[in-house]
Amino acid sequence: MNEPIPDSRQIDQFALETNRGRRAHESCPQQTNGLLSRHAAALLVTLFVMALAAPSPVRADEPLFGFTYTTDLLPKGKFEVEQWSTTRLTKATGSFWQQENRTELEYGVNDRLQFSLYTNYDSTAAYHNGPFGATTPGEPFSYDVPDPDDHYRRSRFIGISGEAIYRLLSPYTHPVGVALYFEPTIGPGFFEPEARLILQKDFRDDRLVLGFNFTYAPEYRRLPPDTSCMCLAETDVNADFGLSYRFRRNWSAGFEFFNERELNSLNFTNEINSAYYVGPVIHYGGKHFFVTATFVGQLPWATTHSDTQPGAIVGGRDYDNDFEKYRVRVKFGWYFGGKEKK
Amino acid sequence: MKSRFFLLPLASFVLPGGPAYATVYLSVEQAQALMFPGATFQPDTRTLTNEQAKAIEHASGVNVRSRQLKLWRVSTGGWFIVDEVVGKHEFILFALGLDDSGALKAIEILEYREAYGGQIREPDWRKQFIGKQAGSKLQLDKTIRNISGATLSCKHITDGVNRLLATYEIVLKQSASRP
Repeated sequence: MNEPIPDSRQIDQFALETNRGRRAHESCPQQTNGLLSRHAAALLVTLFVMALAAPSPVRADEPLFGFTYTTDLLPKGKFEVEQWSTTRLTKATGSFWQQENRTELEYGVNDRLQFSLYTNYDSTAAYHNGPFGATTPGEPFSYDVPDPDDHYRRSRFIGISGEAIYRLLSPYTHPVGVALYFEPTIGPGFFEPEARLILQKDFRDDRLVLGFNFTYAPEYRRLPPDTSCMCLAETDVNADFGLSYRFRRNWSAGFEFFNERELNSLNFTNEINSAYYVGPVIHYGGKHFFVTATFVGQLPWATTHSDTQPGAIVGGRDYDNDFEKYRVRVKFGWYFGGKEKK
Repeated sequence: MKSRFFLLPLASFVLPGGPAYATVYLSVEQAQALMFPGATFQPDTRTLTNEQAKAIEHASGVNVRSRQLKLWRVSTGGWFIVDEVVGKHEFILFALGLDDSGALKAIEILEYREAYGGQIREPDWRKQFIGKQAGSKLQLDKTIRNISGATLSCKHITDGVNRLLATYEIVLKQSASRP
């Protein structure tokens, strides 16, 4: 907030440096957005119609946390529809808001393996929110190039993701639950293979659950000047902790703490950003559905790294294009599938 | 902040969800008649002392959540016990019949409130517990077969049986098992 006010040349130079790959998506953005949004909406409607048409809802896996995964999976032959909504709020200056949505269909292949397919579609609004007061869209809109004084608004289909989780050990029959997660996301000019290690330790009759995730996700994009190359844009490396206690029937509450890092390499060198978030989570698990809500705030622990963009860190918080002060995530899930034996 | 996606989070709260309800498979009286046909039952409610609870936890390796025991002495000899264990969202209510030597005679699931995992009611699975006594140290995936997709319920019922067999050994064994 107390940064010196730059002149217009500095703002333009900053926009050139930070809005990586922006020109790759400049052609016909509105036309493409409309088409892709209709596609996403059609998929959303299809998934919910499938859910409502199915007989005999069943209880299945469910997320106790907004950001941290546990090793619970859907049983064999069971389906679940999940709707995720993540809202990112507040930069160091100006106004910023981003809504990230995910509609997901999960299927239990067997009792150790779960497959999912989902669609991602986001909306955002930004104005004078970036370093030096320039309008700077958050990721994944950061490849657009608005004027530094634009009131930027955009909705966009981001991509289709597949997800596979394989559980090696169950926390109910082993001291620690262990699962491996793989999620490739493919979108226009974008590919991200995300890998995650999931650990779960239960206490007190499985009512107290401790989760830990380590995530490694290189992100490839077609970036100018050579848009023929799907090149490494950055690598996300995250560590998540979650602790949740079932304090009464159907209700659990706890907190989450996580560190998100971005690197300009595949091998943990050339760090760009690192931010820490913490906040409460509450979960309701009913017979046919669940709701999970998390609110996290960024801790003022950010420091400058070798590849940090100038002006990205203000007041100890990282405000680069994939970071903000607050995040709210709500997940809703609806179970359906085969009929339970009586 | 107008956006076509802005209202999606609200959908999470207005979409329909079925109310949670218990499936009652057996009443206490029905379970008693099933386990001990023709017998009469005398209620014998007890409260565990701190020392007894600690001894049960030590012997069974399972937490004692409630100090109150719901017991019935059986006219033909033995004990009928009603207890509950933690399920995924709710509690699972079950009943145990012990013969007058403390061996497990029968186990029945009385109420199951979860929509998934109800396979623990299958006779073949429950049959594994018959004849077990205190000190058996039942363990899921070792002495007790797991049911895929119902692991949490299997584990907690197994733990509950371990706890009640230890309760018999520490608290009830010295008492007359006939009214």
